[in-house]
Order: sequence, then structure tokens, then C-alpha cells
Amino acid sequence: MRELNAIRVDDHHYQVDMRGWVCPYPKYAVEGLVRKLDRGRLDLLVDCPSATEDVPKVVKAMGGSVTEINQIGGGEWQIVIKK
Amino acid sequence: MNQVPFRKRAWPLWVGAIALAAANVGMFAFMRAIGVFPQMSMWGAQVYNLLGVKVDAPFTIYPLTPLLLDVHSMINFGIVLGVAAAALLSEEFKLRKEHWTGYVAALAGGVLMGFGTVIMPPCNVGGFYSATMALSLSGPLTVLGLLPGAYLGGLLMKWQAERAVAVLDFNSMPKGEPVRARSSSAQPLIGAAVSLLLLAAAGFYASCGLTKHAGLLLFGAAFGVIFQRSRLCFTSAFREILVSGNGTVMKWVLVSTALGTVGFALLKASGYQPMHFVLPVGMHTVAGAFVFGIGMSLAGGCGIGVLWRSAEGYTRAWVALLAGMMTAGSWVLIYGKHVGEGWLYGKPVSLANYGGYIGGTAIVFLFLAAFYGFILFVEARKRERA
Repeated sequence: MRELNAIRVDDHHYQVDMRGWVCPYPKYAVEGLVRKLDRGRLDLLVDCPSATEDVPKVVKAMGGSVTEINQIGGGEWQIVIKK
Repeated sequence: MNQVPFRKRAWPLWVGAIALAAANVGMFAFMRAIGVFPQMSMWGAQVYNLLGVKVDAPFTIYPLTPLLLDVHSMINFGIVLGVAAAALLSEEFKLRKEHWTGYVAALAGGVLMGFGTVIMPPCNVGGFYSATMALSLSGPLTVLGLLPGAYLGGLLMKWQAERAVAVLDFNSMPKGEPVRARSSSAQPLIGAAVSLLLLAAAGFYASCGLTKHAGLLLFGAAFGVIFQRSRLCFTSAFREILVSGNGTVMKWVLVSTALGTVGFALLKASGYQPMHFVLPVGMHTVAGAFVFGIGMSLAGGCGIGVLWRSAEGYTRAWVALLAGMMTAGSWVLIYGKHVGEGWLYGKPVSLANYGGYIGGTAIVFLFLAAFYGFILFVEARKRERA
């Protein structure tokens, strides 16, 4: 089974790397990720452009917020989610 | 939020929808409507012949032709160059490798799309979008297959994502260093070079007297830029209605279809190519669309979608494209006849047979309104459940 590459950056600060997962996987995954995140910051790394549009909408609907979308390389973005 | 420069800003869906309709009407007035899979199936048949397996191209109006001389293939090449230029200029290009399960899904998706395109025919954009605009009865009927097919494929993807999240535990994650942003790339410069290459290729064809080739290459590039910048993805449009209860993309596709239908009807009513994109219709339309719908979800894009993602560097799309063209290219070996011939296919039926072009257009608008209403119903049900 395909697994997500995830790390703890600091207390209540996590990073989930979904680079290599085509759209719509990030959109489908973020719903569960936000639900599982008790509180804090989650940096979601994606490399499909549509995720920068879709993920914030799902996060907002789940009661979280996307505070930053940073391009971290060619075709790669960091979506900063806070809950 | 950081300020995003214009070249990196996505176009609103409504801009993409209007631009797409204008480009399709414009290209029809120039020569033909958008559709990409029949050409790719001819490419597949070409490969078989190069390997020594004699097989004819499945679509008789897309006969075996050297790729760089095939006028229809210019649309595909234009899409690839247009997407590549737009993706590079906006620094969205990346050579994206996949997990092996992704390549398996792409292979399966490509094979299903390959069969779907010759059974339906042709593909999602050609069979639904262009055919509906062209007042072909087959266009609206494809929805009965594409919608459930895309839903099934999308459910599988959602299940995979949810399984991956289910085993994740925020309390036991290993500590690590976060990924840092890299310095600026040379992508915009390469994008400018690709744009120049595109213009040079169009100029070369025009200088050889092949003005149709040059025109379709540029129209294809315009489609590529529109799709890449607006993210108006037809696979997502069909898939998300039932998987997420969100029909935003499809609602704009329907608006685009309505606009294009008026343009097509006016051209056809003047006597211009009245049977263009009026396709065989029957049970095969729905069955082929269903198979195609599953395939496009698994592959991560329909015919145009895999061309588009291929040009953005998705290796998953490369696998899907190859699998799709090789499957469709073998159709005459499998079925023994061309697409549209024999027991499998019905006859082409134009909706203009029912009340002329005004009546045909009215039927298409009724269908589009009914589909729009269905989406509103699904979205309302989702809000109620939430």
C-alpha cells in the first residue's frame, strides 16, 4: 500500500509530503488529515497545481484555515494549514 | 497570502469556459472541432506497423499518415507545446515520478480509455463537449456513461487516499527537517524558448503551403494554454459531481457548451459541414463512455488531460497516453472493422433532424439545463448532509 511521507517539525507543527501524488489525491487526503490534526500547523507539500486551489476550499469547509501557499520549487508548493 | 505574479496566477474558471467555447467555434470555422484521441489511436496503429504488425487506423477519417504531416495531429502537438510553454512560464513544470501503483493505475486507465474511445466514440471532450455543440444525439448520451464511470474511478482514488491517511498518526511521527524553498529556476526562459519554437513550427508549415497544419497547431496551442491556466479539467468535472458533491467545474463546462452550441448551430445552419462531429449513436455510446469514464479517472486525465499532464511532466500521464494509443490503435485487429462499421455501432443522428437547427439547439439547451439542475440537486443534498 502507498504510504504518506510525514514528519514532526516541532511541537504541534507537522509536514506531510504529497509530492508525487497526482490530483485529486491531495484534496481527498486533506479532509482526513485536518480531521486527525488536533491543533497546530500542518505543512502539506504538493506538486499538482490544482491542489493549491482545491485544498484551501476543503480545509475551509473543515473549519481550518490555509494561511500561506508558498512555491518551494518548479511545480512544487507548500500549503500551510492551521487548526 | 503572498502576492502572486500574473504569469503564475490561475485563470478563473469562467474565463477558461468562455475562452474554450470561443476557441472551439473558431477552430470549427477554420476546419474542425476539438478532439484528440482518434489521432492518438492512429499513432498507435503507426507503431504496430513499424513493428511489422499490419493494422489499419481505427477511424477511417484519420488514416495512417506520417505524424508530422497529419493535419489532425497538429492539434495534439499544439496542445503539448502550448501547455509546456504555459507551465514553464508559470514555473509549474516538473518531471513528476510516480509510485508503482500509480503507473499500474495509469496503465489500466490508458487501456480502458483506449477501448472507450473506439467504442463510444471518440473521447470525453470530442464525444461529449464537441459532439453536443455539433448537435449530435450521441453527445448528451455520453453523460450516462461518463458520469458513473468517472464516479467509480474517483471512488477508488478517494479510497486509496483515505487508506493512506488512516494509518498516519500525528503523535508518533518521526522528527525531521522541513523542506526548504529552492532558489529561482530557469523555467520562464525555457518557456519563452518553447513559445518561439511553436511559432517557428507554425511559420515553417505555413511557408510550405500547409496553412491548415499551421492553423491547427496554433489553435491546439491556444487550447493548451487555456486548459493549463484555467485548470478546466473535464475529468475532474465529471468525477467531482458525485465523489465530492461539487459540480463547480461541470457547471462552467455546461455554460461553455451552451455558448459553443450557438456558434456551431449558426455555422451549420449556413450549410457549413452539417454532419461534422455528428457521431454514431447507440448502446455503444453509453457503454464506451462508461469504460472511458473509469479509465480517465484512473489515468488522471481524459485524452486531452493526459496530453496536458504529459506536457507538465507527469510520467503517469506518459504511461496512460502510450497505453491508450496502443489499445485504440489495435482496434481493427480486435474488432475486424473500423470504428462506425459493423454490428456494434448505430447510425449518426443529428438533433437538427428534430425541428431544424433552432429545434436541435433547443433540445441541447434543455439537456444542458437538466444536467445543471441535476448538479444543483446533488450539491443541495450534500449541504443537507453536512
